[in-house]
Amino acid sequence: MLYLLIIFFPFAMAAGLYLLRKQEMTAISGGMLAVVVQLALVMQLPVDTPVRILGLTMTTDPLGRMVMITILGVALFSFAVAFFIAHGEHFVPVSLLILGFTNTTVLLLQEPFVATLLMVSSGLLAILAIVDLPSGSTLLVERSPLITALHYLVVVLVAGFAMYMAYVLLTIYWPTEQSGQGSPAHLIMALLIAGFGMRLAIFPFHSWLVEVAEFAEPMVTVLILTALNSTSLLFLITTFQFFPVIVSENEHGMRMLMYLGLITAILAALFGLATPHLRRTPSYLVVANSGLMLFGVASTSSTGLAGAIFELFNQMVAVIIIFVSIALLERPDGRPVTTIRRDLLWRWPLAGTGLIGGLFLLLGMPPFASFTSKLLLYDAAARTGTSFAILIGIGSLLMLAAIARLLYERLLGAAEELPTEEMPILLATQEIERFSDRTLLREPIGLAVVLFALLGISCVIGLYPQLLLTTIDDIIRGLTFVRTAS
Amino acid sequence: MTEFINTQWPLIGIALSAGLILLAQQWRSTLIGLLFNYIFVAAFLAQPQFGSADIDVVGISISTTILVKLIAGLSAVLILAVTALTFSRDYNADALDEFSLAELRRAARLAQRKQLVAPLRFADFVVPMWALILAAIASFILPRLYPIGSEEVDFAWYWLTLTGIFTIVTANDLLKLGLGLLVCVSSIDLLYTAIASTVEVFPLAMLGLTTIVLSLSVSYLSGLMYGRLKTLELNELYKR
Repeated sequence: MLYLLIIFFPFAMAAGLYLLRKQEMTAISGGMLAVVVQLALVMQLPVDTPVRILGLTMTTDPLGRMVMITILGVALFSFAVAFFIAHGEHFVPVSLLILGFTNTTVLLLQEPFVATLLMVSSGLLAILAIVDLPSGSTLLVERSPLITALHYLVVVLVAGFAMYMAYVLLTIYWPTEQSGQGSPAHLIMALLIAGFGMRLAIFPFHSWLVEVAEFAEPMVTVLILTALNSTSLLFLITTFQFFPVIVSENEHGMRMLMYLGLITAILAALFGLATPHLRRTPSYLVVANSGLMLFGVASTSSTGLAGAIFELFNQMVAVIIIFVSIALLERPDGRPVTTIRRDLLWRWPLAGTGLIGGLFLLLGMPPFASFTSKLLLYDAAARTGTSFAILIGIGSLLMLAAIARLLYERLLGAAEELPTEEMPILLATQEIERFSDRTLLREPIGLAVVLFALLGISCVIGLYPQLLLTTIDDIIRGLTFVRTAS
Repeated sequence: MTEFINTQWPLIGIALSAGLILLAQQWRSTLIGLLFNYIFVAAFLAQPQFGSADIDVVGISISTTILVKLIAGLSAVLILAVTALTFSRDYNADALDEFSLAELRRAARLAQRKQLVAPLRFADFVVPMWALILAAIASFILPRLYPIGSEEVDFAWYWLTLTGIFTIVTANDLLKLGLGLLVCVSSIDLLYTAIASTVEVFPLAMLGLTTIVLSLSVSYLSGLMYGRLKTLELNELYKR
């Protein structure tokens, strides 16, 4: 019953809130309530207790439950942010539908075919959020969100197709029968790399993430990057767990995967460094971070996996801090839209500080929690080989350089407070013809408090990493493919 | 030859209908191709080796699995057909500002002019034709390199996959791109049903749901694009 409630409750709430979508406050409050109820339901889920429903095995392990709770926490925060920041008319119902699909995916990770289809469906729903316009908007949908949605549609479907085919081959794959023939292990690996590479935005399949970050509403980006991408990484780990043959028979393929992860980190950081853009650079940094996580998982070492899993949670927190800060920084400040803003920290000190904190969290600066996860990844790289250690070092330095350039070009420039001459009041001038004074909106203090609370929590976990690492270590001890590799 | 046609007509139907989707340029032809594709896939899977009939519908014995697939496929075709017939997302002109209204008028003028000056050209079929030949060659070679099911099953799903992918690659409008994606999903569907020892309810429902959600997404995006640009041509979307 609990499993069915977790699956169907968000769908029922989404249907109800779709009818109330014009009444924004009610819809958002309803969405928050639905997420709180879901959180309560997930907390009650028994761990490692499989249940057979509709011919399928549903279960969750501690890692799956932690991911579900974190995603729901991020969703709750996103809904709270939606009170202050512009969002699409269907944001709440579509988000609830995506959450429903995500939870179902996590519960059904033992059924790879179904999980793949669920991930495709959740991706298709995200498309509706990408092209969503605010309620009562007087504008047409722009070309860029349409192009983004179209690209995402194709990526989601092709990724789902590649993953599905990999699982079909894995199911019928029987190593003893392959003697004398070419092993399909390489084909399976190639399909998995393509499928998960597209979902996790690994180079060269990363461009969709940058487009989504640039053209979708910030809260939609947060939802896609946290709910959908995190589930994909969890699915990859589960795939290695249920099909250890991929790891054991593909040493060369796993090395390639590690190199791919680190090359992604380096190239994405380079792209981020080359384009100091408020939305594009952080999205490239997220791609780079995904590359590092992929490296951690592919290393199949306990430290690498611990680092990747720990980093998964850090990235979710960092993404929400960064994109909420960006949404606040992009608010009109009286200057023409075409003006390149270089003094955003002085204009919006709270949001600017939030963005800096979020970027440092993504980078792994002490005292944030990501410092520990990055250390674990560096340790895994050093143990795997010198070339990996060098590559991860280059990637991290480039990420730091990209952040430094973004801060220099967009946040820390001189305050643009040019002295304006007092215009003489001419004869027959009317009040309506006079320029109005430029006034800045106030930064939402409540939102800033929550942003800093998230950064504070990350600092506390960074100072006492054992709070989370003990659980992660327990999870890793249960992963058979790690033992296989070591 | 006659015996081959008599026994393998669903396979021939799948090959022809998918080929039509890849080659045809007009939405009426491609949608008809998709409709027949779903019917032939259902006929292919209705063969005794893939399961037996368990219910009677208007005097025809049919398997529930096949019926579900037919319903999902026909729903997808219906959704896309309604979209193609109506196309436009209903923008409330009163709610739009002056700039948006002017942009809509400009897009309508451009689309009208394009319709007047763009006849059907032979050159439009060259790339899809070569893609079709490539798909045919690959569909005969790949089952020998990576056999998964029987020879017929392998040919059918490889053919659907390749024509689907080539349709996506060569598509010049949004609707056709969506059809390519649907053909790819159809190939997954065929493969799952053909090789699964027992077809479970939930995966079957999920495959049907994916087909319908995909067609709805394509339909929604088509509506938005047509509402914005008064055309579904992708090159118009990429113009700056």
